[in-house]
Amino acid sequence: MNLKPTIGMETHVELDTESKMFCSCKVVETDEPNISLCPTCLGLPGALPVPNKKAIEYIVMLSLGANCSITKEGMFHRKNYFYPDLPKNYQISQFDFPVGVEGSLEIVIEDSLHTVAIERVHMEEDTGKSIHLGSGRIDSATSTLLDFNRSGVPLVEVVTKPIISSAKMAVAYIEELRQLVIDLGISKGKLEKGNLRFDANISVAEEGSDELGVKVEIKNMNSLKSLEKAIDYEILRQTKMVQDKESIIQETRHWDENKQVTLSMRTKEGSADYRYFSDPDLPNMVINDEFIEISQNQIKETPEKKRKTLLDTGLSLSDSNYLDKGQRWLYELYLSTVKETGDCKSTFNFLTGELQGQMRKAEISELPQWLNSEKLASLINLFENNEVSFTSAKDILAKLLIEDIDPKSFASDNNLIQSSDNDEIKALVTSIINENQDIVERLENPEDKLVGYLVGQVMKSSKSKVNPGSVKEVLLKELFG
Amino acid sequence: MTKDFNIDDISNLASIHLEEKEKLKLQKDLEIVLEHVDALKNIDVKDEKIDIHPLSKVLELREDESTPSLSHKDAMKNSPETKDGHFVVPPSIE
Repeated sequence: MNLKPTIGMETHVELDTESKMFCSCKVVETDEPNISLCPTCLGLPGALPVPNKKAIEYIVMLSLGANCSITKEGMFHRKNYFYPDLPKNYQISQFDFPVGVEGSLEIVIEDSLHTVAIERVHMEEDTGKSIHLGSGRIDSATSTLLDFNRSGVPLVEVVTKPIISSAKMAVAYIEELRQLVIDLGISKGKLEKGNLRFDANISVAEEGSDELGVKVEIKNMNSLKSLEKAIDYEILRQTKMVQDKESIIQETRHWDENKQVTLSMRTKEGSADYRYFSDPDLPNMVINDEFIEISQNQIKETPEKKRKTLLDTGLSLSDSNYLDKGQRWLYELYLSTVKETGDCKSTFNFLTGELQGQMRKAEISELPQWLNSEKLASLINLFENNEVSFTSAKDILAKLLIEDIDPKSFASDNNLIQSSDNDEIKALVTSIINENQDIVERLENPEDKLVGYLVGQVMKSSKSKVNPGSVKEVLLKELFG
Repeated sequence: MTKDFNIDDISNLASIHLEEKEKLKLQKDLEIVLEHVDALKNIDVKDEKIDIHPLSKVLELREDESTPSLSHKDAMKNSPETKDGHFVVPPSIE
């Protein structure tokens, strides 16, 4: 029996607003507990929620960015469940009228484009944080500490249709969604800070079958690496169970990072168990055309648009995706540099390889002010035109990172310009041939690896000041005619 | 007629403990409630416009501005137990 996995992702995005979703308490990023609280986010009786306009703008932007239709007449529901980090005993969320519906995100896996269908984008509020005290094991805690600073922070849930078919595809989807919220400027998108939290619904079914298998929800994956490992593990676990004729139960499992396994947490509530009902404190939410237009006008960039801009410079899909998901300054620097060099591949390679490598090594996180696209283009052109060797280009770059120099003048002043003067090269080649007669006698054909060795010897004797291409040409002519 | 519910599931969801006597009484009460609700299923609403909220008022939004919150001391003052600035509750693991 051939089994195929089906995955649906639920992602919570913490919005980057000044105040909380339903009250004016400041959104704080601090270890000091319980300092930004009011009767509303503490769930005290009689307190009434008033939604944050910016958060609604942000969710409309995200819905539009994910190509969703906007529900113009929507509402909030109460999702009822009992847990101490939820002081009202219900979470204000959305049920059958989410802000965004029926969208899609374009994702890149290696060198191919795929589409992930988005089912819904809805608005809700975050819960507080619990710390379980005791022996260290969550199930033997002696008491629970609560910090409600996060309670009521605006949270958007983005739910895909169950159409993701592998762990790699799930990771590429999260990378795209993360970049979207960063490019839209609506969330910091830091996984390590919990700005983006994701659960995966996984099932396996017989290939070709229209019906999905029993769905298991996996929680507690806080990095892309753990997401990939947890999905791969869960697919294997379920596949083995089906093959062994064991039945899979609908449940929530958590990813145990230390043991590298998924473990059962609880039987999953069905939607009915949450007893959703419309929140009587919050009348209908009307999102009119004007509101949508205002939100639309705030969208300056999306990863999809950036990728298209990069592809237009001639870069491959995977290189475009790399820059799309990287730091903003590198994306901008590439675009302005490639305009001057006209060579996408060498510009991409030099910026992502040499420049980033040297910056990492020197622990520089920002480019010095003087190191602009003009200087980089001039340096890239120098070695692309064989005027300096790649080794010299690396040295010039190292200098540029600490001092404002002109690459071309620096190369001339320091005798780094390679000679293409054939007489000079011929003299060097002749001298190396004479010094290495034993090797010359062993040469069988122009493809012989020893040719490379002899080229290297010529380069060494010239102190890398001659063009290796010309050296090889002259050397082969001398040796093989 | 909807009588297909389990009183144990419902008490579990509500996190309340029920004695056997109470379960029997609540089972009967809830059956009556469900019978009443079931009557709604007989109404033909095919051609009705959906009113998604009982209030005709439209939601007012507020600007994204923060205002001072309760002081930490005031926020914590009704709590029977605190530790290092946190509220303390019995261990609660789902």
